[in-house]
Amino acid sequence: MASVTYLLSEFHDKHAVASAIESLRTAGVSTADLDVFSEEPVEFPRGVLDRPSHMSLASVLGAIIVGGGATAFVWWSQNNYAVITGGMPVFSFWGTGVITYEMTMLGAVFATFGYFLWESGLIRKRDKTAPVPIVPPECICLRVRTAGEDVSRPTALLRAAGATSVEKKAAL
Amino acid sequence: MTGTTKQPELLPYRKIREDLFRPLSGMTRKYFAAILIPLLIILFGAYAWTVQLRLGMGVTGLQRPVFWGFYIVDFVFWIGISHAGTLISAILRLTDAGWRKPITRAAEAITLFALMIGGMFPIIHLGRAWYFYWLIPYPNMRMLWPNFRSPLLWDLTAIITYVTGSAIYLYLPLIPDMAQLAAHSVPWRRKLYRALSLGWTGSDTEWHSLERAMKLMAGIILAVAISVHTVVAWDFAMAIAPMWHSTIFGPYFVVGAIFSGLAGLMIVMAAIRKFMGLEEYLTRHHFDNLAKLLLLMSILWLYFTLAEHLTVWYGNDPSEMAVFGVRTRTRFAFLFWGMVVVNFVIPFVLLGIRKLRSITTGVIASFGILLGMFLERYIIVVPTLSMTRLPAATSNTYTPTWVELAITAATFAAMIFLYLLFSKLFPIIAVWEFKPHPHEDEA
Repeated sequence: MASVTYLLSEFHDKHAVASAIESLRTAGVSTADLDVFSEEPVEFPRGVLDRPSHMSLASVLGAIIVGGGATAFVWWSQNNYAVITGGMPVFSFWGTGVITYEMTMLGAVFATFGYFLWESGLIRKRDKTAPVPIVPPECICLRVRTAGEDVSRPTALLRAAGATSVEKKAAL
Repeated sequence: MTGTTKQPELLPYRKIREDLFRPLSGMTRKYFAAILIPLLIILFGAYAWTVQLRLGMGVTGLQRPVFWGFYIVDFVFWIGISHAGTLISAILRLTDAGWRKPITRAAEAITLFALMIGGMFPIIHLGRAWYFYWLIPYPNMRMLWPNFRSPLLWDLTAIITYVTGSAIYLYLPLIPDMAQLAAHSVPWRRKLYRALSLGWTGSDTEWHSLERAMKLMAGIILAVAISVHTVVAWDFAMAIAPMWHSTIFGPYFVVGAIFSGLAGLMIVMAAIRKFMGLEEYLTRHHFDNLAKLLLLMSILWLYFTLAEHLTVWYGNDPSEMAVFGVRTRTRFAFLFWGMVVVNFVIPFVLLGIRKLRSITTGVIASFGILLGMFLERYIIVVPTLSMTRLPAATSNTYTPTWVELAITAATFAAMIFLYLLFSKLFPIIAVWEFKPHPHEDEA
């Protein structure tokens, strides 16, 4: 198995980071091997380092499941022990619409939060062996995962794009 | 007003972080005094509640036909205040209003604490608070289930959803700040921040997820916030009682909630600015924008109040007119017109005339609005119940007792207490959100 090496590079300008990412990708580095670290969010133009997400879908699914489940439970419980309703229906969407709505929203809240924890990796560290750079204030760090010991090509690309420092680190 | 940097977000990141993290360190005598006084009031309120639990609801001023009093007023009031935060923060976040940044966290914290306080009142009002769990659907021997058609159950689900959503909405943007605070010198704080920041590293994957989650949560919470106060309004509107059974009660309550919430936010922001020395970050510009929003809500509130009362007057239904009469002409007229003065006349003058508009006048108007909105809820709850359709039942009037007053005072103290505690543990302004983000630079 080829050894994994990480390159930790430091930038002071997000445009330089974008340029480094583009040259690395042209050189065949996958976006999955690139990570940007910063103290605040850094946004790049579309196509530079996209991170596709299914969070909205998860949110909708959570809403449907919890909302639908809650409505089904209300229907079942009201029929399970039917109270006297003075001629009104035992179950009615008018009467229980609020419960359906609130539980639908609660489902969306839980699904969004759960998916965030999962997608961000906070409860699912994807690569525990990868070194995490300490980002100095006002700096942006680009971490590149490379296979093998020869890192001269990506190092040169990082420096050419404007990296102020490039450090080679082995997997932890 | 002190002179301030016009664009505090352009200050160096290191200075912003130092300034905003500084209030978290150190305990002064003033802080201890500020936290001790509310704590004593809370303890007295807790004692009053134990008196009520021991002796029963007879210790309150509630008697036939007025069975809803201060507790329900408090409930509606605090749920209204909760609209300050999450709703305003969500609207401003979704519309990408740049001036929201120093305001959002302080506002979101108000929401969470106000909901915790407001959510207590249905339980206090139950009398036999230990039977609260009967509201929760759980399998029991007789297979009895709660009546899900009851607005009480609607309240329960709406508040649970809103509390959960608001807590998550407050927590999410706190994660990056707590990760930075994890290097704190005090060991217990370091442990706390490390645990709460969940190992945040600041990678682009984490930032992307956070921003996506925040946007989604803003949309969800907006829908929930509006529904919550509508449901509170329906507690009244679903009853065929004079001056309650109204189709505009939902939006009327939502407008009132945002109005009182904004007033609460204005007071909290002014207090944070003064006592935490954040004049450089909470500038006149922020207060000016809040004051304009407050003025808009004041006008909207007047519009709804007028619409509500005019239709009743024009309809001339005897039972409705009886309540209308006590509200506007006799027993409660002083409170009603006082409410109009503090909710509309004073804010209109102080906030509408540019020369008079300042942080001080904004705070004065806000205190008036909070009083006015408390009165509004009292005027909605009590006169209708006093003027029931049964003439024989109208002899009693409602006056709150010391127990109700002590518990009400304790809720205000609880808000101050929780806020002081929060502001000592977490940065009251989101540090990472404060700087202009790249897409804003380009805009």
